[in-house]
Amino acid sequence: MIGRVTQQMTASNLLANINQALDRIDTTQQELSTGKKINQPSDNPYGTSLALQLNNQLGNLTSYSNNVVDGTGWAQTGNAALSDITNAVQRVRELVVGASNGTQSQTDLSADAAEVNQLIDQIKQDANTQYNGQYIFAGAATGTSPYQAGANDAYAGDTGQVTRQIGPNTSLAVNADLSSVLGTGQTVSGQPAGDNKLLNTLRNISDAMQSGNQGALSSSLSQLDTNLGSLTGLTADLGATTNRLQMAASRIQSLQASDAQSLSDVQDADMAQTEVDFSTQQAALTAALQAGAHIVQQTLMDFLSG
Amino acid sequence: MTIPSYSGLNTALSGLEAAQAAIDTTGQNIANANTPGYTRQQVNLTERNPLTIQTLSSVTGAGSQLGLGVDITTIGRVRDQFLDSSYRNQNSQTSGNNTASTLLGQVQSALGEPGGSGLSTALNQFWTAFSGLQNDPTNQGAMSAVLGAGKTVAENLNTLSGELSTQESQVTGQFTTLTDPTTGPVATDAKQIATLNQQIAAAKTSGLDANTLLDQRDQLLDDLSQYSNVYVSQQSNGMVNVSFGNAAIAAANGTADATPLVNGSTVDLADNVTDANLSGSGGTLGSLLGLYDATTGAGKIADYAATLDGVANQLVSTVNGAIAGADAAGATAPPFFDPAGTTAGTIAVNSSLSSANPPYTAAEAGAAANLTGGAADQAYNAFVTQIGSDVHAANSAQQTSQSLLSAISNQRQSVSGVSLDEEMTNLIQYQQAYQASARVMNAIDETLSTLINQVGGGI
Repeated sequence: MIGRVTQQMTASNLLANINQALDRIDTTQQELSTGKKINQPSDNPYGTSLALQLNNQLGNLTSYSNNVVDGTGWAQTGNAALSDITNAVQRVRELVVGASNGTQSQTDLSADAAEVNQLIDQIKQDANTQYNGQYIFAGAATGTSPYQAGANDAYAGDTGQVTRQIGPNTSLAVNADLSSVLGTGQTVSGQPAGDNKLLNTLRNISDAMQSGNQGALSSSLSQLDTNLGSLTGLTADLGATTNRLQMAASRIQSLQASDAQSLSDVQDADMAQTEVDFSTQQAALTAALQAGAHIVQQTLMDFLSG
Repeated sequence: MTIPSYSGLNTALSGLEAAQAAIDTTGQNIANANTPGYTRQQVNLTERNPLTIQTLSSVTGAGSQLGLGVDITTIGRVRDQFLDSSYRNQNSQTSGNNTASTLLGQVQSALGEPGGSGLSTALNQFWTAFSGLQNDPTNQGAMSAVLGAGKTVAENLNTLSGELSTQESQVTGQFTTLTDPTTGPVATDAKQIATLNQQIAAAKTSGLDANTLLDQRDQLLDDLSQYSNVYVSQQSNGMVNVSFGNAAIAAANGTADATPLVNGSTVDLADNVTDANLSGSGGTLGSLLGLYDATTGAGKIADYAATLDGVANQLVSTVNGAIAGADAAGATAPPFFDPAGTTAGTIAVNSSLSSANPPYTAAEAGAAANLTGGAADQAYNAFVTQIGSDVHAANSAQQTSQSLLSAISNQRQSVSGVSLDEEMTNLIQYQQAYQASARVMNAIDETLSTLINQVGGGI
């Protein structure tokens, strides 16, 4: 209990209270101008820790999102190349069907053979498709051109996977092993020991057309259908990859939204609330200042005459 | 026996003198209403010994005692020494908390968290850059981004480590300044107290109150208490012995201090201004030693530096380890961080790396990118949270002790401070007492005059 109240006490109490009011206003002002309620770790140590974690998660999600965009580019470029190859194979099939009904002259067959050879070159060119400067059908050896133009059909890449990380501990292969369809075996046209893969089959077709060998042509047709089947399978696989990437993209987007929301809840100031606080604190300060101006001046002397 | 004719005059005179002294003291109080350290003074009055008149009553023969007026015993200070001692204890605590709060706040500002300029952002960008390199390991731009982000991380750690060292030397500098044996405030306060002790003892011997000297000494003791704990023991000759630091805490708990800082008229700095006596005590000095003790190398800031070194070490070992362990080619891949720099001050990106020749495979870059949110991030997160919690605790301790100090200061003011209203009331009271005494003197004068003139004139 305080019995006596002196002018110094009143003055120093008033000063302390005004300082406190100013300090509160300063804090609120800082929240208003930065829009954040955590401006220093000490404002809320646990909240700061959460904010750092959420920022890290958001950074990871940005990485994953970049990876998905990059992976989608790979898969879509792959799909385009594969559909181009499929079209070329379909064309070869038409030529083979036309040639095997026995009505075409050898001149026509030679012209067909030349077209098949051109289509082979086109297919190999498609297999050399690049995305962002990287060969997408060379396995993990993305710096190496997988096939050479010309008669040599040797595969220069490897069977490695190109993966993109699309989530914690979740990776996805975004390349397709085209060499499993095109083949790696036959190095020079006309040589045996083929692996019955697409390039080998096409070379056989071209050779059979050149030599007018109807029997070889018809047996090549069924081989071509088998190759076409595995090409379709590969295309389907890559399509599935694109779908997974799209799903990952929307999952990452919703995670980004919810993490950003959490981060905002943790560190952003409630502007409406802060504005109201600010006005209240300002009113309190004004009142304290006015009261001070009145109280501090008055002593008994004001009421004693002479 | 009869009543002496003139005793009434002396009684009235004593009243006049007492009122005069009271008015003078009131004037002194009003004049010093705003003087720091001033204690309001009070004129202590007692009745004078009465004059005993035997057989005053002629009827009963009973004697009586006749009052002879008022005696000014002392002009004393109105002060409560228990409030002084609680004020000084609280003052030590508050100054210590102020120091800790200010200096830790500076450490916190150096972090730049949780804004965009701190290490956490740099680390996030570092992991993202590695993730980009994983997608395109031969891309020079991607490698250049990784190198840039890695350098930013390393420089951030170097800067933080430098800031912590700067804080350490600031703390040491403050401590040295405050404890300087000739110019430091502890030494000068102690010497002045010793000098005042002598003067007060001399005044006491001459029977004087020495109010001004006592006020000065109390103010010096208040000042001394902000540096560390102070325990004051009053001596019979008017001197005080002042214990300082941990010795003061022990003395307050009843352990006699053999080597007080101020012992009568002598000052003993050598036994009191030591790490052992100040470390762990209250006040600015104790708080500074708690933050960083240059002699032992211990303290909170040193702990932070060690934790930050741990973060750097964790970063170097996990990133280099992930790259080395990623695949078979890892054994030949160059480490990303220079393996020689494993502290926050020395961490650096391996200088042999260049963006023109990206050395890492996708697997190696991926292994590094996967470290996001890992041990290094967690260690840094814990480091920031630790500092944040410490500053938060220091700030609340500071606020609490500050309001406690104001409360005690108010109590002390309530006892010792000058209230102008009270002094004005007293002034009226004393003025009227003076007037009344003068009136008494006048009345006595008139009675005597009647007696002398009228009686004498009749003859």
